[in-house]
Amino acid sequence: MNPAQLLTIFISAVFIYNVILSRFLGLCSFIAISKETKPALAMSLSVMFVTTMASIITWAIYRFLLIPFGLTYLRTISFILVIATFVQLVEMVIRKISPPMYRFFGIYLPLITVNCAVLGVAVLNSDMFFVKGKAVPGSFIYSLFQGICVGLGYTLAMLLMSGIRERLDLCDVPQAVKEFPLAFIIASIMSLSFMGFNGFRF
Amino acid sequence: MKKYFAEFTKGIIKENPTFVLALGLCPTLAVSVSLINGIGMGIAATFVLLGSNIIISLIKNFIPDRIRIPCFIVVIATFVTIAEMTMKAYSPVLDRALGIYVPLIVVNCIVLGRAEAFAQKSSVLNSLLDGLGMGVGFTLALLLISGIREFLGAGKLLGHGIFKGFEPVFVLGMPSGALLVIGLLLGFFNLLKNRKT
Amino acid sequence: MQNNFIVSTSPHIHTKESTSKIMWLVVLSLIPAGIAGIWIFGKSALWVIILGISAAVITEGVLQLLTKRKLTIFDGSAILTGLLLAYNLPPKVPFWLPIAGSFFAIAIGKQIFGGLGQNIFNPALVGRVFLMASWPKYMTAFTKPFDAITQATPLAALREGKILENISYLDLFLGKRGGCIGEVCILALLLGAAFLLIRGYISWHIPVTYIATTGIFVYVFAGKALFSGDWLFHILSGGLILGAFFMATDYVTSPLTRKGQIIFGIGCGILTAVIRLWGGYPEGVSYAILMMNAATPIIDRYTKNRVYGTR
Repeated sequence: MNPAQLLTIFISAVFIYNVILSRFLGLCSFIAISKETKPALAMSLSVMFVTTMASIITWAIYRFLLIPFGLTYLRTISFILVIATFVQLVEMVIRKISPPMYRFFGIYLPLITVNCAVLGVAVLNSDMFFVKGKAVPGSFIYSLFQGICVGLGYTLAMLLMSGIRERLDLCDVPQAVKEFPLAFIIASIMSLSFMGFNGFRF
Repeated sequence: MKKYFAEFTKGIIKENPTFVLALGLCPTLAVSVSLINGIGMGIAATFVLLGSNIIISLIKNFIPDRIRIPCFIVVIATFVTIAEMTMKAYSPVLDRALGIYVPLIVVNCIVLGRAEAFAQKSSVLNSLLDGLGMGVGFTLALLLISGIREFLGAGKLLGHGIFKGFEPVFVLGMPSGALLVIGLLLGFFNLLKNRKT
Repeated sequence: MQNNFIVSTSPHIHTKESTSKIMWLVVLSLIPAGIAGIWIFGKSALWVIILGISAAVITEGVLQLLTKRKLTIFDGSAILTGLLLAYNLPPKVPFWLPIAGSFFAIAIGKQIFGGLGQNIFNPALVGRVFLMASWPKYMTAFTKPFDAITQATPLAALREGKILENISYLDLFLGKRGGCIGEVCILALLLGAAFLLIRGYISWHIPVTYIATTGIFVYVFAGKALFSGDWLFHILSGGLILGAFFMATDYVTSPLTRKGQIIFGIGCGILTAVIRLWGGYPEGVSYAILMMNAATPIIDRYTKNRVYGTR
């Protein structure tokens, strides 16, 4: 296990190939829940929990079930079912801990299931850390760590966006672009800036 | 009768999945680069939406609440597989163009979103109309966005070049450009809406 | 005792008039760099500047008339945006490029947020990255100074592994190199920056931390071995001086507090160096500043001055 690899994973997942601003995964909740910082952070925490746990379990399934039995074509659907189960769990927990937050999230909490970011990191792990059907040494730690870092990258993007939107809330923005249109345009400019990281090579 | 009609049309304008509900954005960004892809994805997604809404509405009383999300996923995945196989059989060209985005309809927020928000608590007829309306709304949104992106971003429409000497605006072919187009279209629609009232 | 004086901590609200005065003074301080650019690159540079400024002013005017908002085209900010955008372009771009860039910069970079004071991102840079993403082949075609031959910029050449022959630090300082119109003549830029600094219209915190951070990072990592990077070359090349003194310091899009500004400067510095050294583009100033613009609201939130009397 290579500590330099861990650093690379961290910097790539959080900044260079940020899951929202460079890979464009997880946009639905990004546009919908980023209006205020507190819910944005709560959503980010939930997503990070799911990406981390999903990374662990999907790694195990890929390593011990799909590859040995030659069922790798079932990867997408089995990964999604695992994720769906976890999101169900998270939903139950949030419902118990904070009903107002649960109501605020509305549809977007179950939608973490189909949050492309979560499936994306699971698929990314199995692509990056398994070569020709064999697990790269340390692949479990790498997968787990990447799951955490993708969650952190998601959190970074949400934090930036919610800061911006909260500030704009106090401004006299043209009526027609209030809320979602401006959010899309801000996302557009943010992703234009993150294009600066294109073609990155250590 | 009017009520049923409203159930159908709400997905097209008032609750358009792309512009109003901000659902299904990831595939929208990726697929709307050309008009033909937009049309293909719209049709496939509508089929899946229709199927999953109907089935989920039919079995809604038999699904325990605690495991409803995985159950929805199984239903949705089944219809996506049907759609994928149909497309592979009858239109391999389109299937190749859309690539991995057909299986990824499974994670299209719109499908799970409507199952969760509507089909699991509504009648079969209403769920059918809702699915159809949302599918049509999604397809129209895709048409609009991909039409603009292909025309201005690649200087073509349905694969055919438009005028000579036109320097296409490349950024529109990128996800950043897609977000811009969606934001501006949405702002434009809001403008029209505000004028009306 | 009746309190006739109002005492409060900064930031204070500026009146519209003084904002306008500052805009015009920044325009003034940028004129030497423009003159140098025109002298070095020829008439086409002048056209780019004229088109950039006109398109910016016209766009702002038309949009404000259409939306029935107050006309602010004389407050100098549209002119400043157009000027800065033009300074960020290569000298021989097609006539429609600065027009498209200025239009995008004003319409999407500024007006859609509600106009001056409300934009999150530096409008000129928004215009520049838009142009870069849309028409890369025009945005990366540079010419040799005093000539019409195409030639790579020093940073681009470094990226390819070739060093441009006969380029000395003095050449870089005076602007005898390929590059964008307003970025090449460091001497002219520093003259303008000195004026703004001495009169107190910009503070040293952002530019100094920005440039120093880039320099240190490059010194440590850019060379073949650690601690052997050519920091002077990097500081004098690309758009660093133009960006650090005139774009990163924009009041609206940078943090309010000194602490925040230092964080901003360091962030810009690291991002610029990282993109220059390992990213796909040879220059990273525009992207770095825009990314830090996005972080400014959050930086402000967490470096707020404590209001006296509260926890």
